[in-house]
Amino acid sequence: MSELVRSYLTVAIFAAAAVGLVGLLLGISRILRPQRPSVSKQMAYESGVDPEGGDWAQSQIRYYVFAVLFVIFDVEAVFIFPWAVRLEVYGLFGLIEMFIFIAILALGLGYAWRKGVLRWV
Amino acid sequence: MELAMLAFERPAIDWHAFAPELVLLAVGSILTLIDIVYNERARRVMPALAAVGLLATLVPVLTLAVDGADRSMFDGAFVVDDMALTLKALFLISGFVVVLLSVDYIRDGDYHENEYYSLLLASLLGMVLIASSRDLITMFIALELLSIPAYMLAAWRKGGATSNEAGLKYYLMGVFASAIMLYGMSLIFGVSGSTQFDAIRVALDTGGDSAPMVTLGILFVLVGFGFKVSAVPFHTWAPDVYEGSPTPITAFLAVAAKAAGFVALLQLVFVAFSGRYDVVEPFFWIMAALTMTVGNLMALRQTNIVRMLAYSGVAQGGFMLAPFAVAGQATDSAIQAIVTYLIIYAFMNLGAFAVVLAVAKKTRSGEISSYAGLFSYAPGLAVAMTVFMAALAGIPPAGGWVAKLLVWRALLDASSVQGTVLAVVVAFNAVLAFSYYAKVLREMWMSDAPDGDTSPVSVSGTLTLALGLTVLATLAFGVFPQLAARFGDFSASFAL
Repeated sequence: MSELVRSYLTVAIFAAAAVGLVGLLLGISRILRPQRPSVSKQMAYESGVDPEGGDWAQSQIRYYVFAVLFVIFDVEAVFIFPWAVRLEVYGLFGLIEMFIFIAILALGLGYAWRKGVLRWV
Repeated sequence: MELAMLAFERPAIDWHAFAPELVLLAVGSILTLIDIVYNERARRVMPALAAVGLLATLVPVLTLAVDGADRSMFDGAFVVDDMALTLKALFLISGFVVVLLSVDYIRDGDYHENEYYSLLLASLLGMVLIASSRDLITMFIALELLSIPAYMLAAWRKGGATSNEAGLKYYLMGVFASAIMLYGMSLIFGVSGSTQFDAIRVALDTGGDSAPMVTLGILFVLVGFGFKVSAVPFHTWAPDVYEGSPTPITAFLAVAAKAAGFVALLQLVFVAFSGRYDVVEPFFWIMAALTMTVGNLMALRQTNIVRMLAYSGVAQGGFMLAPFAVAGQATDSAIQAIVTYLIIYAFMNLGAFAVVLAVAKKTRSGEISSYAGLFSYAPGLAVAMTVFMAALAGIPPAGGWVAKLLVWRALLDASSVQGTVLAVVVAFNAVLAFSYYAKVLREMWMSDAPDGDTSPVSVSGTLTLALGLTVLATLAFGVFPQLAARFGDFSASFAL
């Protein structure tokens, strides 16, 4: 049983350290900082301009498609760069392997194209 | 650096061992390709193609099972043995039943159909892969492959606020769990210097100096999977996600995704962490006892059938976690109990969701009270639901009792105080669970139909097939317990 207590003591110490660290950092800054609140300090920060209107506003969503599409090319690049550097060593096997990989990714791009995602609306 | 060191040696690939994954990948790609070429015109054939694809994937699983040899690839990161094959077959059959459940629901709801089935197949590919993974990285990739499509499927009822909530909640909790798990994996990798389960086992056995690190690493990984299998206190997402998701996806998450979490736990606990049962056992003891009790107590208060099944699923997960608490003391019977429970749970729970789908078509309601008088106008559905409720409660001859018995035997096999106490908790919970399953039975058999509306329920062909399959399997496991026990006996798989 003492073995059990010892191995789980680590967990307790770890949890205490995690909570303690947050408390310590917040606590110290609370003690050290001066507190003189004023109206303009309490305002939401908008790059120095007084905020206007509510905090619920519509924003342009059409860029998210590009963010999602970017992932296809990002993943491709991550694997293609190291592969290209060592292509001579991998030989024909590596070439075929990479083309299968690109084909699967191309399927994703083809899908996006077909569904009209690439058109700017 | 010498050039010889840089030489590349092509890894030996056993195509036969890899065939199930490759077939499933090919089917998924073909579905996407058809979607690209024919777009909306392909809607009607998609479910049939997905179902045929899943059955086609079962073929290499069967040929591998007939062949019988254990296969191992990539330095042991990918292993095909009897247990992996049984679980792969379980995932594929569950996926097949989910496709059957989806056909009408997705078509009538006018949701995107083409993507639905390709995402379902992608998620199943992750599950089939996780059954073979004996390596931290392979396991993590398989887990993400099965989770990410599931996040989207949970939000498939785009117009409904609850479905969006389900998708977002599932995604956030899933990512949070993955982060915790990765932290644990990094600690374990730091101590053992390997991502491979066999190497980790050896390293953890001897790594005396870094014992605190090992404990933390193991616990973080297990907590991460605790989220995935919705064990208390990491279960809070489950009821909301289950209620908000489209019902076929609820069935998919409650059965296949949960089973995948347990499969990963099986491999981690009995292979990678098998030298550190002293850390693993108390953790699972507490989680199992909490999960069962809290799940059952919450299920008692539910008035919505899907929420009730969600909490009942949490509680059933507790029964499956219980054998892990005696992982070291009764290893063989614990593995057998967990795998058998997974198999039987899949069929009885899928069946219960099939009935929920069929009834909801007429009543348009998920309230338990809407089941009043079901027997008077849909006797077939009422009898099927009775079988599933009896199975979930553990009443013979429906399948569930075998599973509970095996869990109990594993706990008593341990012949230790902890094991026996947990067995008592299990028994207490089995009785507690009966009361809410019986509530559904009482409504169906004793009450009168609301407003005297006894027009029959129209059950489509695919739903009938799904119901037939699940009823048959649930009863078969109950009447021939040796059948389930045979599938669950894999002590040899982990012979170390």
